[in-house]
Amino acid sequence: MDTKVSPDQVIDAQQVGRSVPRMEGAAKVTGRAEYIHNLRLPGVLHGKVFRSRIAHGRILSIDTSAARAVAGVHSVVTGEDIRRIIPEPYYGPAFHDQPILALDKVRYVGEPVAAVLAADPHVAEYAAGLITAEYEELPAVFNEVEAATSSICVHDELKPAITFPDLKHLKGKRNTNVALDYKLRRGDVSAAFASAAHVFEHEFHTQHIMHTPFEPFVALAEPLDDSVTIHSSSQMPAYVRLEIARLLGWPENKVRARTAYLGGGFGAKVYVKIEPLVVALALLARRPVKMSLTMEEQFYVIGKHATTFRIKSAITADGRIAARKCEVFWNGGAYADIGPRVSQKSGFTSTGPYQIECAEIDSAEIYTNLPPAGAFRGFGIPQLVWAYESHTDIIARALKIDPLEFRRRNILHDGQEHPTGTVMRDAEFDEVLVRIAARMGWDAPFDRGTGTKRRGRGIAIGVKASIAPTTSFALVNVSADGSAVLFCNTIDMGQASNTANAQLVAEVLGIPAERVKVTQADTDVTPFDMGTLGSRSMFHMGHAVRLAAEHARTQLEALCAEGGLTYTGEQSVAQAFRKKFGMQAGNIFGVGHYTSRYQPADPATGMSKEVTPFWMIGGTGIELEVDTETGHVTILRMVNVVDAGRAINPRVVETQISGAALMQLGQTMTEEMVFSSAGELTNPSLAYYKIPGIHDMPATIENEAVEAETRNGPFGSKGVGESGTFGVSPAIANAIDDAVGVRLYSLPLTPESIYRAICAARGEPLED
Amino acid sequence: MIPFELLEPRTLPEALGMLADDDTAVRPIGGGTALMLMMKASVFVPRRLVSLRGLGEALGRIELDAEGALCLGGTATLAALEASDLVRAHAPVITRALPHLSNVRVRHVATVGGALAHADPHMDLPTILAALDARVRIAGPAGHRTLPVDELITGYYETALARNEIITGVTIPAASAGKAAYIKCTTRAADDWPALGVAVNLACSAGRIDAARVVIGAATDKPTRVSGAEAALRGATFSGSTLDHAVTEAVRDAVAREVAYTSDAQGSAAYKRQLARVHIVRTLTAALEG
Repeated sequence: MDTKVSPDQVIDAQQVGRSVPRMEGAAKVTGRAEYIHNLRLPGVLHGKVFRSRIAHGRILSIDTSAARAVAGVHSVVTGEDIRRIIPEPYYGPAFHDQPILALDKVRYVGEPVAAVLAADPHVAEYAAGLITAEYEELPAVFNEVEAATSSICVHDELKPAITFPDLKHLKGKRNTNVALDYKLRRGDVSAAFASAAHVFEHEFHTQHIMHTPFEPFVALAEPLDDSVTIHSSSQMPAYVRLEIARLLGWPENKVRARTAYLGGGFGAKVYVKIEPLVVALALLARRPVKMSLTMEEQFYVIGKHATTFRIKSAITADGRIAARKCEVFWNGGAYADIGPRVSQKSGFTSTGPYQIECAEIDSAEIYTNLPPAGAFRGFGIPQLVWAYESHTDIIARALKIDPLEFRRRNILHDGQEHPTGTVMRDAEFDEVLVRIAARMGWDAPFDRGTGTKRRGRGIAIGVKASIAPTTSFALVNVSADGSAVLFCNTIDMGQASNTANAQLVAEVLGIPAERVKVTQADTDVTPFDMGTLGSRSMFHMGHAVRLAAEHARTQLEALCAEGGLTYTGEQSVAQAFRKKFGMQAGNIFGVGHYTSRYQPADPATGMSKEVTPFWMIGGTGIELEVDTETGHVTILRMVNVVDAGRAINPRVVETQISGAALMQLGQTMTEEMVFSSAGELTNPSLAYYKIPGIHDMPATIENEAVEAETRNGPFGSKGVGESGTFGVSPAIANAIDDAVGVRLYSLPLTPESIYRAICAARGEPLED
Repeated sequence: MIPFELLEPRTLPEALGMLADDDTAVRPIGGGTALMLMMKASVFVPRRLVSLRGLGEALGRIELDAEGALCLGGTATLAALEASDLVRAHAPVITRALPHLSNVRVRHVATVGGALAHADPHMDLPTILAALDARVRIAGPAGHRTLPVDELITGYYETALARNEIITGVTIPAASAGKAAYIKCTTRAADDWPALGVAVNLACSAGRIDAARVVIGAATDKPTRVSGAEAALRGATFSGSTLDHAVTEAVRDAVAREVAYTSDAQGSAAYKRQLARVHIVRTLTAALEG
């Protein structure tokens, strides 16, 4: 909040659409912003975890005696100890499948088996290293396609949580690794393939990825008389409260979850992660307990699904997509987390942003003996776009149709039906393609390079639905001097949501955005919100904030009228309060809430008339150069264009587009969690798991949000945190094909994989 | 990390006295950029670390000796090398390579001696120093000795150093100052350890190469001289930065044939061999361009 801005400076001037500087910017660059990582409490114990070194096995014994004997160790806790306070210590948003500490079995290398508490974290770490466990090793399964039909089962029985009614039918299912199999059946797919002029079929792969937030998972639990406070770096404090209360059998109001700024989340910090363990340890020890995972440990908590995507299209003689069959296998790892939602809510967009009359989708979440996979910026969409936009490009090139023209011929327009049966509204697909092409000069001659440096260019476009239905609540508190505080659970983890929400309050109240304060989430005071994920907050919380501010304004106008005053912002309010209460006293509370509309899918067809409240659209154009002797790629130009509706804060929208695109660039070129044949992660460190640095950035990056309005969105806006990711990977692969005539089917696109493809294409494959 | 003893000697004899030849948990520490990572990962658990930081006065200098050879102190930081006018004048190949050699935070603490003693094959400096015919100065309880860089490093993380010896510096003979170049090739992010390092140093007169040193690093267990390539270059003529096609082919062939490439996370041996075939020519061109 900037108190230097005078209260009556911007009365009735537009607050929405203004590039208000980030409210937290100065605090962050001067090191004053609060992070849970820096929180210190007196008497705190530090928890360190002993992890499984095998991928699958029955626990025979755990020897904690050496750890207990270390001077300074407070206690050592195993899964059985946790049963003393939580009889059913299994958690998870979709399935109650994940034990707080391993019970009976371990299911992946890195799974927490025991925890050591000590006042000195170094002592705890040392002692954790002295714990040993004996296992009866079981055969393990790692590949998602193999696991789909394997007789090796990661879990004996499926245990769906009650949260999602459409998972109920899976309860008690045995002898399977398929946690959820979403199916879409539309039209006569067989007939369309039988009469097709051309049929194309390909298989694509994506790799395991880690979110690498620079603030690793951290949580601190503080047991009080009859309640517990959890300070956590979480994207979902309301869910933390709900799930901890469920585990403990307590009412929600005995659990307080609060956050500060997050040093990045990207989907890693949704639902609960280390919070159940930290709470259990604190309640057992009756002392505050803090756990700060290392960057290395993060790799064993949650990641992004590796996938196999088999895609097949029927094309008519005039170059239209008549039918598409999609078979997607999502490698969910050993615990479901929110993976089943990824395979369903993103799975139903597997056919891409195209007019396709006949479609068939099978999108399955598969358990394997690898670290769990869940939400990750894009929620599964980048894996899908990678496949369907590579496939689409191959088709266009094979049919000698310009890739832009082929896409525009088939792209969905407003009023047309998406294969799920939902009619497209406020979805500027064609405009996104047009703007990418215009910026790239698609019709102009292109320098294709010479000698060993060959140039190419490619485009790609993707679509995402919002998770629905979800609910947000907001509360605006106006004090007697007329200043306003917004209470909401949307977590600012770098996306400037506090600034955007302040702009909404300010717009409605007719005051400068800089005068609005936004609190950090604290479930004792901030009202419910489903969580900060899936780019849902601008739309859902935006509506709730707008409604809360409108509710406050109605009351403020009435208060002014009661005192014979006209509402003109803060100063008129201050006068009205003084008139009514005889002094500077009192509050006005404005409350608002919003639930998105949604119609559940028909279980037989997987279709729904209302599958999402809004569509996210993003496309990328790439110009690059390939060194044909080494396979090295230099990205010369990256053009990212999205439909973000109306931008509440244009500068923030631009940084969200570029941030998302560059994150996806790393996952396209360098990032990969590499596992040994025994399921051990071989590179759990930023030294060996390579995220891109400044020298890996494209020479030129252009970002654009097209002119658009989301008619059902708050002030015409919609979410934009992920749209920049969609087109990046396939646009690069398409440009490589354009440059050197080779096609890559697996990420990441390493120089060696490109060079090998070049050698293979000229009939001189490089030896292994 | 559990507590350990950290000693900070002020003189070389004092430091040598604190080391032990029979205890793997006692080690000298320079900038600590490699050792600290090993300690964080519990790969190395020290009982005692002997910090060489206090020896900077004696061991941190960059100077010319009586014969005009460039002497880099063992505790001189990479950043000090980067900023040194003497280095720029006598071994510009080092100055040019340094900005690409680890990040600026590492360069400000990592030392010349540490880069050599660590003997991680994925380092740049040892390959460059080997091409410059540098000799490593070593102090131990029995006195001082010197070794060529390519004899100091004996294998993958292995050196000819005894546990109670300290690298006091590196000497680059004046006679070795030729047309030199180094190319670092990474295969993951740009900011990474090299998958391949190629260093060449050519003594030239009037359009003719009189002698050549060609060293391949990172893609091998240790910096490796390529004698076939050196032989092919000896006596070769060049115009501008171009060598005869037959010479470059012979060099490429020797680099591909003579060197044992290793497969790891940065690439297969076959791919690294190809990278070496390509980058040896690019390095020669860069050297001749000066």
